[in-house]
Amino acid sequence: MTDKKKKVIQKKLPREVYNALKNVVGEQWIYEQRSVVETYSKLSIEGGSFIKKHDKDPHVLPACVVLPSSTKETQAIVKICNRYQVPFIPFTNGQVFCNPTNEQPTLIIHFSRMNSIIRIDTQNMCATLEPYVDYGQLQAEAMKRGLWNGGTPLATTICKLASQFAFAGLWQTDLKYGLFSRNIVSVKMVLPDGEILTTGSRSISRAGDFWEYGPGPDLLGLQRSGLGTNGIVTEITVKLHAWVGDETFPDIPAGRPSLFDVHDAKYDNPPAPLKNHKLFWIEFENFETQIKAMREIAHSGIAIGLNAPGVYSAFYCSQTQAMTVERCEKKFFPDWNCYVILAGTTSEKQISYEEKVLRQIIDEVGGTFLSETHKPEVLEALKPWNYDCIRHSTGYRMNRKFYANAWLPVGPLDSAFICQREWQKALDMFGECDITDRGGADDTPFVYALQRGHFCLFETDNYPDPVLPDDIRKAQGYGLYGAFTIPKNDMGPMLMAFTNVEPFTSMTPEAGPNCKILMRKLRKVFDPNSVAAPGRQVFTEDEWQQFPTEIKEALNKMRSLNDMPPVEY
Amino acid sequence: MTITTDLSSILGSENVTDAEEVLKQYSRDQSFVQPRSPDVIARVSTPEQVQKVVRYANTTNTPIVPFSSGLNMHGATIPKEGGIVLDLSGMNSIISIDTDNWNAIIEPGVTVSWLQDELAKHQLRAMLPFGVHPKRSALTSLLERDPSLASASFEYGNELIMDTELVLPTGELFRTGLWSAGGIPGSPMGPGRAMLNRMWTGAQGTLGILTKMNLKVEYLPRKRKIFMLPFDSFPEAMEPLRMIQRKEIGHECFIVNNFNLASMLCSEWSVPEELPCTKIESREFETLREKLPEWMLMVCSNGGPRLPEEKIAYEEEALQEICSMTHTQLYDGGQMDELMLQNLLRPWDILKKFNYRGSVHDVSFKTTLKKIPGYQKVVQEITNKYHYPLRDIGVYILPVERGRAYHIEADFHCDPDNPEEVEQIRAMWLEVSEQFLDEGAFFDRPYGAWSDMMYSRAGTYTQKLKEIKKELDPNNILNPGHLCF
Repeated sequence: MTDKKKKVIQKKLPREVYNALKNVVGEQWIYEQRSVVETYSKLSIEGGSFIKKHDKDPHVLPACVVLPSSTKETQAIVKICNRYQVPFIPFTNGQVFCNPTNEQPTLIIHFSRMNSIIRIDTQNMCATLEPYVDYGQLQAEAMKRGLWNGGTPLATTICKLASQFAFAGLWQTDLKYGLFSRNIVSVKMVLPDGEILTTGSRSISRAGDFWEYGPGPDLLGLQRSGLGTNGIVTEITVKLHAWVGDETFPDIPAGRPSLFDVHDAKYDNPPAPLKNHKLFWIEFENFETQIKAMREIAHSGIAIGLNAPGVYSAFYCSQTQAMTVERCEKKFFPDWNCYVILAGTTSEKQISYEEKVLRQIIDEVGGTFLSETHKPEVLEALKPWNYDCIRHSTGYRMNRKFYANAWLPVGPLDSAFICQREWQKALDMFGECDITDRGGADDTPFVYALQRGHFCLFETDNYPDPVLPDDIRKAQGYGLYGAFTIPKNDMGPMLMAFTNVEPFTSMTPEAGPNCKILMRKLRKVFDPNSVAAPGRQVFTEDEWQQFPTEIKEALNKMRSLNDMPPVEY
Repeated sequence: MTITTDLSSILGSENVTDAEEVLKQYSRDQSFVQPRSPDVIARVSTPEQVQKVVRYANTTNTPIVPFSSGLNMHGATIPKEGGIVLDLSGMNSIISIDTDNWNAIIEPGVTVSWLQDELAKHQLRAMLPFGVHPKRSALTSLLERDPSLASASFEYGNELIMDTELVLPTGELFRTGLWSAGGIPGSPMGPGRAMLNRMWTGAQGTLGILTKMNLKVEYLPRKRKIFMLPFDSFPEAMEPLRMIQRKEIGHECFIVNNFNLASMLCSEWSVPEELPCTKIESREFETLREKLPEWMLMVCSNGGPRLPEEKIAYEEEALQEICSMTHTQLYDGGQMDELMLQNLLRPWDILKKFNYRGSVHDVSFKTTLKKIPGYQKVVQEITNKYHYPLRDIGVYILPVERGRAYHIEADFHCDPDNPEEVEQIRAMWLEVSEQFLDEGAFFDRPYGAWSDMMYSRAGTYTQKLKEIKKELDPNNILNPGHLCF
């Protein structure tokens, strides 16, 4: 419970550490003033950090923040952390995975000064970026050259690609291009032990930066999705693909605030359709038909994107939180729907062909295209997606209270039914934080068809009110419960929004098997002093012993709710 | 007690042999890697048996060389320090073919030809590499990153491994992908979100022994059409090739020179059962390579599962536009079309090239398009020095992911029964490899002599690989002496 009288005392780094860091970056790029470190203590969409704030947990405050300007400075900082055993957290936007992970005074390394596109190689279709380069920045430059990176997360275009590397990266155009993790050529990383690793062909100086594997066993796959525990990406080379859409996007006002019932009309001008692209919305009678149609579309070889947003369009396309809730209640958007993005990369005729195939599938399977004659008001409301399916730039944002937890399991397309069933079960067990929790239970979970439907990703979220700690805790319960429900139902956890959940998905006895053994060995290689976000992805035996008993008990309670035996890890 | 008797007690004496004539078969391949006999051959049929042998080897510090088909051709299964050759060819089940989600679970002994035949029954196909031997293990081919013929297509030709099951060097069973989370395979991500399976790719069996793989399979096109673009020199092909890739035309796209194309077409030669093979003189081959254009760019348009003719039609129209813009004439392949289409699904006719001299020594690497003419100059200079005819080099050029990278294979032919010739070709092959490396060639699969060349230049990457090997394989029992281990 929140203790209003409790004071949060900020921890400090020893003076010799502080001075050593100051010597690396200069006095103007190191901060330990309370007013500054406070801004690094609450993450925008991570429930755990909000609970810590409500609880006045002193561990939520970093001890110090440094802003390096180069790989060399980053390396020097990491070496200091190793020398003095100071844990560090790499930080870009501060959306998730940026809180201190243990009780020791922790250093935040913020990369906002490293924000350049180093090069765009139009011949070999790749771009090398510093860690603070975002999707919008890259796409604006690449699209002028007839190229793009193949996707944008639904989050926002200000997501940094180097951060997305840290947790795989989910795009709307995964059907063709796969996850961001499939679109990386190489990385230059400062490893937790201070060494610099370059991967792929970049590891050999004369070869150039174009090839992602090797030499020999591939270390890039190992580094991907490391949540900042495997090292710090200081340069990332990403793949580019042919782009036939507009060379520039209209300058639409960004930053629509998410307020209860206030909105500004300047944000309300939906964009025209993209050049050489076509977006279709299809409504289905039921979930079974939706999934069947999605499988047929994915297998037909058409389209660059195929996703089912269900009720989530209410958040994306509404001007206020009140409108979101009203649309959820009235089921303004169809429960069973999907959108399909076509692109004419080869020629205009490609779009005509693909549209013909799409219409043939819908005729066979069943479904109705949203159109001027079928629910035109819904189609009109969905217009922000005209651009947002490629780049989130319309100024519409998710009008909801707060994003605190998500289940994001991976599995074959049919797993959509399991995901819906289990989410429903969890809602019955824990109760709702908000009406918006019903998304994914009363309608489709958000289904992303990945890599021509070889596998899919499903999403269901909790959006509690951030000023109500009990509601956030409820969402945390969903996260912990899901950490066991998902593998128990043969699905893989891709990302759980509560950072404290993460290690338990790979450290349980069921994972792997023997995942724990392997992960600990690999951590020893890359982070012998356990300084890189310790305990976030892999915890050592010592770290596990230090876990509070109540956490262990909570985990075993969730296991028992899933009919799983208790563990000692 | 000897290793043979110990292993016999684990696997049964019928599965263990140290007969000299058998050991000799496992001691060499057609590469320049120095032959060395193993001490014993152990045949396994289950993952549990693999675990038992690995645990035994750890107690006795005995090297283990995983072996599936022995058709690697680059010395990866030659036991450099003796020990046990663990023959996995008996683990040869296609465990399942998932026609809903388009993947298949296979064991290491499943050959590419058998897999392709079985998938065809379900109107599916595996994406196979050019020049793969029909008896090569499909699992090993993917694991060793043999690039598929459809590599040009970002979505259909790459990242074909979904889930894996393997035995770690200390004997524990481990799974990657969705398989690591629960009971079923179905995604390459896992444990967590990491693409951990990639660590075992290109590893030549040094970091673990794969016992199962779930691989992506794709639809078997009902209609296909192949287009051939002839060129007198490679630089002339570069711009059309680049434009075709940018327009994303075709799944398969590659270039072969007249030596390789003539080998494929030669009816007097057949695909050898074993490599190296006996050389066979062929007048037909000589006539063909004289007649054929110097370079041939092949593009195959695959009609989709629906309205296939219409897809081929718009791709053909786009290709014709490029031909017109680059003043390129399409080649009328006549009967060659059918043979090439057949080879896109079962791509082993190119192995007829072995009949020319008996063995083939390729220099295969990754590079960028712009650099390719530079390698031609290097080859010209070095082959002149060694009096090796330039026209006797087979070349295969494969764009990867719409031309972001290129896979190159340059073949040098050699009579394995002529020691003088072997020594001369070996020296030339080494010199070409070194010069290519200096020109920027990237040997992403550093077999044999390439490993020292690569790892001495790879700094931290090499160091971290060594540290990982030490952690995972503390007794250094898995295929020691290969890569940087």
